[in-house]
Amino acid sequence: MASRIEIYSPEGLRLDGRRWNEVRHFRCAINTHPVSSDGSSVIEQGNTKVICNVIGPAEPTLRSRVISDRVSISVKLVVAPFSMIERRKRPQNDSRIQEMCSSIQHMFEDAVIAHLFPRSQIDVNLYIVAQDGGALQACINATTLALIDAGVPMYDYVCACTAGMLDREVLLDLNRIEESAMPFLTMATIGGTRKVSLLQLEMTVQFDRLEPMMAAAMSGCHHIRDLMDSEVRKHGKSRLERGSF
Amino acid sequence: MASVKRVYRDNLSKRLTLSQKVFVRSRKGKATKVVQEHYLRTDIPCSSQLCPTCALNPPKDSSGASRPFVLSSDPPSVKSCGPHYLVPDTNIYMKAMDLLEHFAAFYDVIVLQTTLDELRNLSLPLYNRLRALTRSQEKRFYVFHNEFRQETFVQRLEGETINDQNDRAIRNACVWYCVHLEEAVAGTGKSAPTILLLSDDKDNIKKAKELGIVCTTLETYVRELPQADTLLDMIVVEGDEDTSGPNRYSYPEYYSTSRIQGGVKEGLLHQGILKISQYNFLEGSVSVAGFERPLLVLSRESINRAMHGDIVVIELLAREQWKQPSTKIVEEETVTKNDNPEDDMQENIVTAQERKALIEEAREAQYSSAEFRVQPTAKIVGIVKRNWRSYVGHIDASSVPSDAASAHRQSSVFLIPMNKCIPKIRLRTRQAMNLLGKRVLAAVDSWEPTSRYPEGHFVRTLGDIESKDAETEALLLEYDVQYHQFTQTVLDCLPKEGHSWRVPADTSDPLWAGRQDLRDLLVCSIDPPACQDIDDALHARLLPNGNFEVGVHIADVSHFVNPDTAMDNEAASRGTTVYLVDKRIDMLPVLLGTDLCSLKPYVERFAFSAIWEMTADAEIVNTSFTKSVIRSKEAFSYEQAQLRIDDKSMTDDLTEGMRILLRLSKILRQKRMDAGALNLASPEVKVQTESETSDPMEVEVKQLRETNSLVEEFMLLANISVAAKIYEAFPQSAMLRRHAPPPVTNFEVLADQLRVCKGMTLRCDSSRALADSLDDCVDPNEPYLNTLIRIMATRCMLAAEYFCSGTMTYSDFGHYGLASPIYTHWTSPIRRYADVVAHRQLAAAISYETLHPSLRDKPKLEHVCQNINQRHRNAQFAGRASIEYYVGQALKSREIDAEGYVMKVFSNGFIVFVPQFGVEGPIHLRDFGNPEPPCNFDEERYTLVFREGTAKETRLQLFDRVVVHVETVVEESTGKRKVALRLRKPLVE
Repeated sequence: MASRIEIYSPEGLRLDGRRWNEVRHFRCAINTHPVSSDGSSVIEQGNTKVICNVIGPAEPTLRSRVISDRVSISVKLVVAPFSMIERRKRPQNDSRIQEMCSSIQHMFEDAVIAHLFPRSQIDVNLYIVAQDGGALQACINATTLALIDAGVPMYDYVCACTAGMLDREVLLDLNRIEESAMPFLTMATIGGTRKVSLLQLEMTVQFDRLEPMMAAAMSGCHHIRDLMDSEVRKHGKSRLERGSF
Repeated sequence: MASVKRVYRDNLSKRLTLSQKVFVRSRKGKATKVVQEHYLRTDIPCSSQLCPTCALNPPKDSSGASRPFVLSSDPPSVKSCGPHYLVPDTNIYMKAMDLLEHFAAFYDVIVLQTTLDELRNLSLPLYNRLRALTRSQEKRFYVFHNEFRQETFVQRLEGETINDQNDRAIRNACVWYCVHLEEAVAGTGKSAPTILLLSDDKDNIKKAKELGIVCTTLETYVRELPQADTLLDMIVVEGDEDTSGPNRYSYPEYYSTSRIQGGVKEGLLHQGILKISQYNFLEGSVSVAGFERPLLVLSRESINRAMHGDIVVIELLAREQWKQPSTKIVEEETVTKNDNPEDDMQENIVTAQERKALIEEAREAQYSSAEFRVQPTAKIVGIVKRNWRSYVGHIDASSVPSDAASAHRQSSVFLIPMNKCIPKIRLRTRQAMNLLGKRVLAAVDSWEPTSRYPEGHFVRTLGDIESKDAETEALLLEYDVQYHQFTQTVLDCLPKEGHSWRVPADTSDPLWAGRQDLRDLLVCSIDPPACQDIDDALHARLLPNGNFEVGVHIADVSHFVNPDTAMDNEAASRGTTVYLVDKRIDMLPVLLGTDLCSLKPYVERFAFSAIWEMTADAEIVNTSFTKSVIRSKEAFSYEQAQLRIDDKSMTDDLTEGMRILLRLSKILRQKRMDAGALNLASPEVKVQTESETSDPMEVEVKQLRETNSLVEEFMLLANISVAAKIYEAFPQSAMLRRHAPPPVTNFEVLADQLRVCKGMTLRCDSSRALADSLDDCVDPNEPYLNTLIRIMATRCMLAAEYFCSGTMTYSDFGHYGLASPIYTHWTSPIRRYADVVAHRQLAAAISYETLHPSLRDKPKLEHVCQNINQRHRNAQFAGRASIEYYVGQALKSREIDAEGYVMKVFSNGFIVFVPQFGVEGPIHLRDFGNPEPPCNFDEERYTLVFREGTAKETRLQLFDRVVVHVETVVEESTGKRKVALRLRKPLVE
């Protein structure tokens, strides 16, 4: 390889010392902003960090937002200017941000049991505080946790993970350097099932390579579901003990 | 806000710990802080076969396989420390990569990640060589990722430099290995191998000793090995640091990187590849975009330590310093004969003799009225990329000190490279006497501004000068031909059946899927006599509608060579088969090349067929491509085929088919010529060798028959058709071949020479014009003149090259020599890699198979193109050099008078070309007597008049026919046996 950095060494180690099927360090917390919102969460996947606040279900602020038979979800995403290595301010109407918002919105409209809250609205506010690859997956995972915290009934967790393909090697949960070096996809599944609620791939990939990437991403999603589930249960338990409902 | 708190080190689980790598990087003048995760693990194995714990749970890759443990349980041993594993420091890799690759020593080496990363930042080529070593199974090199293992990871301390941190990491890893191996062998009764740290860094050694690590310098270690003398010579020499005498002359320093970058950006400096003239080692030229003619670089000082092939940055000199290209033959040997390799102190960079030679030239340049000859002249101010490689040469006997044999002491000697464009290399060796008269391989290490010659080190000897094996190997090395045996992993890719592989009899076999059954067609192949790798076969028949069906069938190599296998990678790196007079260096293993792929007669073979329907006027009605199975009816040599066609009594279908082919090929050829294709010539000769000993017997000029051009025409047609097809299917990534039109300036000199000497005109505004004017250059008295001019015209052309279609615009695709708008190579996949790529692309274009991703990847293809262009060129050079060597050998004990032609005139000699042997050589005026006879050189009329002794005046002009006396001598400067010419008499007064 002519490059000065070796993304994946022949000994099977990645730049940061992980093996091909290891996700980055995953940390999450829920009910982090109890005063300002109905449900909140903070997620760190490696050095990517996202905060999510959920307000609602509540009466829509605008008449036009009312849907007669189910809840409407609106997603707002803010990328902090200091989130990347170089400081850069992104406008709110940046097309990439808009796209991420709309895909999150559509996913969760199907994931929450929407008909229980007709004529109401859920606001999801996401803040990307630090970026090191996999911003979309972190946003999805954070939204899931915050919705659970807000007590919005859902069919199951929505959990997301990325996977990339370098030559013949599948790599799971890419960081920023890896993302720039290979084609990768973001996948979200409904809990531990094989139902895919999002599959996003923005690069060209040989058709026969898609399947191994999807398989790896799916196992990553299931792993992340377990991690989130244990955090939720832990949190639930401690609240029960404190009796703070 | 309750946030997740981060601690500096985080225990994630028993096996994984998280740390952060934080560093500040400057980017565009701004300092930015970069934070990267760094996971520390405990599952990185030590890879020693002695260790049972690491072997319990080896890490697996995505396919579930784990890597074998490489470090032997019985490592080599030296006296001072017994059996040991080596841990080299980075400076050892920098200095002694040749040593590490040596088969005699350096087994069981632990390559630390720290040193590997350092090496990659210092030198990518060395890094790649080290990586290749870690892949080889024999050498047992193991890469230990110490920075990812918890115990061996070191955090940078306050105020510690990166180098110190790295050294500490290396020592840490050594300590860990010692302890780990002790634990591993505990209870088994065996003793653990010593961990031996090799370093040339005094500070590192001192600190390591304090920690109780066994360590030593490279030199002391090597001294303990058998063959120490040979090995010691292979260590890279370091520039002496304290030799700055007051009188010391030195080369000008290079400009700083920022100044060079700025200069190039602003257009004040220029970048290009330096080419040293073959005839004058003090003259180089650099082709630069934006200048019509290459810029001249004259004198040792201006060349400033650059070597042939380096990418250099040059600065133009003021106009009054511009010179014209030399009109003299200057050889390094004659000018710098008396240099003493030891005595570095008093040397001046430019010797008095050299200066004299230059002054003479400058004076002549001033008086010269030929304005157009003065060329922009420049000096080299920086080197972007060195083109250094290993060079083959021989030791200059006069540079070996007389006491070298007695003392076992290191002495400096000169290596004179075979390639005249490369300066002498100074070597330090202990075995100078043994190396005399041998072909020696040496590598260049450095060229300090204070040193007149580059410093190098000895790599190995190839054998005696003029022994066949040594000379063959020398030229293979010199042209970078990969001639080693195929490795086992490559051979494993061959079909298991070996020679007994057959086309499946059952047509429902999956191998038949998508293949057309063409076994009944009357296919035959026409090749040079005794050809074994038959890539192509032909057929033709009359169709019921009066048109003809013509088929070209090419060996289906891509069926056997799958993309991205070891065999494919090997073929891609070899690029082409190299043909030497007595040897063939195959691109593919022999089993494929001469048997399974070769379209041998009477057996069924897989083929890739291009089939056209043509009218009687050779107009193509229809083109189709298909994978097929054929059975060749006969393998002809060109001569046999010609005889069969000419034999009126033969009227069978096969012969008739060949007659159709011949007739159509003539029409095709005429069409091509009408379109402006060039009929160029090269001085091709063939060396007949004795079949048993392959000693050269006879030199003969290659004969061309009609059947040669028959095959050629259809191959061209097939290539053009395929090129159009794959370009249509893959406009971004088709593998094509182009031949750019030469710049008009290339022909300026030749056109002027023809006008002055022969009164002929050469037009070169288009290939058509050039072809026509070449046809007109006929002198009834000189039948050979036309061929001579064609040879010289060929030398003015640019080289054809492979490229990937996405990198150029369609208008640049053209093939100038063939006058075709698009062209590729498809017809010889056994011996050229480009054809294999074209085969795969064509197979995908006809939906026979899916296109492998690497053939769609533009950067990768570009890389492949670059490599095969280089290999192709080198293969041609190697083939020519081989012929040259054998011509020399064939003429060894003979002296012959032969006719020759003056090809170039200098003020102190001229170059004569002898068509009979395809050789050219210089005749110096000094050969006519000492002192040099007075002469009169008329530059504008290309004439040289001189008087030899008391004889009549001799007048020689360019293109004159002369009779020369041909004999061979061993050229002192290169050690090559060369044809030496002496003038007998000029034929034209």
